[in-house]
Amino acid sequence: MRVFVGQRAWLLQRASALALLLFLALGAALLLVGPPLTYERWHALATSLPGAVIIVLLFAALSLHGWIGARDIVLDYIHSMPARLSVLGIIAVILFAIVIRVALTMAAHLSLVT
Amino acid sequence: MHIRIYRYDPETGAQPHMQDYTIELESGDKKLLDVLMRLKNIDDSLSFRRSCREGVCGSDAMNINGRNGLACITALSTLKEPVVLRPLPGFPVIRDLVVDMTQFFAHYHEIKPYLINDDVPPERERLQTPEQRERLNGLYECILCACCSAFCPSYWWNPDKFIGPAGLLQAYRFIVDSRDTATAERLAYLDDVYRLYRCRTIMNCTEVCPKGLSPSHAIEGIRLELVRASS
Ligand code: SF4
Ligand code: SF4
Ligand code: FES
Repeated sequence: MRVFVGQRAWLLQRASALALLLFLALGAALLLVGPPLTYERWHALATSLPGAVIIVLLFAALSLHGWIGARDIVLDYIHSMPARLSVLGIIAVILFAIVIRVALTMAAHLSLVT
Repeated sequence: MHIRIYRYDPETGAQPHMQDYTIELESGDKKLLDVLMRLKNIDDSLSFRRSCREGVCGSDAMNINGRNGLACITALSTLKEPVVLRPLPGFPVIRDLVVDMTQFFAHYHEIKPYLINDDVPPERERLQTPEQRERLNGLYECILCACCSAFCPSYWWNPDKFIGPAGLLQAYRFIVDSRDTATAERLAYLDDVYRLYRCRTIMNCTEVCPKGLSPSHAIEGIRLELVRASS
């Protein structure tokens, strides 16, 4: 398998962009219809199962999109292999940590974990 | 007319510098190349390429007031003074406005810019329907002047690995050719983060092409063909 095939990343970048757009539209709809967004409403959303799943998916899509974009920037501007691998490694760890953190928080809300 | 030209002579070892020229326009001076040729008569150390002087050979591509173009079809009346001339950005300079095109043409050769078809040739030519022929329009006209690749930020950052808009436009010209039988191999070769996917659809290429072609649409076409091929 070739590591640097381009099409998969390109497709994922577009798919995650579409997902983000969808979440953005959902969020906008949430803001525009119904009662004003209070802490209680956010709380209810984040502690409901569909709400929590959507939030985790949103951050997953954001991380994936960010990862492909960051990888592109690194491939463009950083040409030394060690520097490239370290920067990519740091970005990957940060993005992964964000998703895990969000997932754990949501799970805690739903009392799946304590 | 006031013209400021990038000068570099590798033999003197001096740093490149900008040199100012002032020249009276004559009635025959219509295009930038007309003035450059007269300047060359005055100062024969000034170097630039040109051949056809009518936008067909692609040899006098240069950066004119910050924009890549062909001196021979750039009307003097459209230019703000001082007219600043530099070699094609991102290309190694050999002397003055003459750049090294070796890498650019290596990319061109790499996409196999010729018809591949191992079937027994018919007695006369390989025929195409008018619709099949239509698909080559906007692609075959490329004169390989490099205005596009030398205006593409992605090509500036990775000129050794990214094929660049000119090469990719040529690649697409053979991918869509109904007589070519190597479409799958051509697509497989291009499916690579560097060769094709360094393009970020900035569209500088399309914006600057002096022949009015659209490499970025050709690139989009290649991506769609790849999607089609893999689904
Ligand atoms: S696509 Fe246009 S700018 Fe690019 S090499 Fe061909 S003619 Fe020149
Ligand atoms: S569309 Fe692609 S090839 Fe054209 S200038 Fe932009 S990055 Fe370069
Ligand atoms: S001299 Fe041939 S394109 Fe300008």
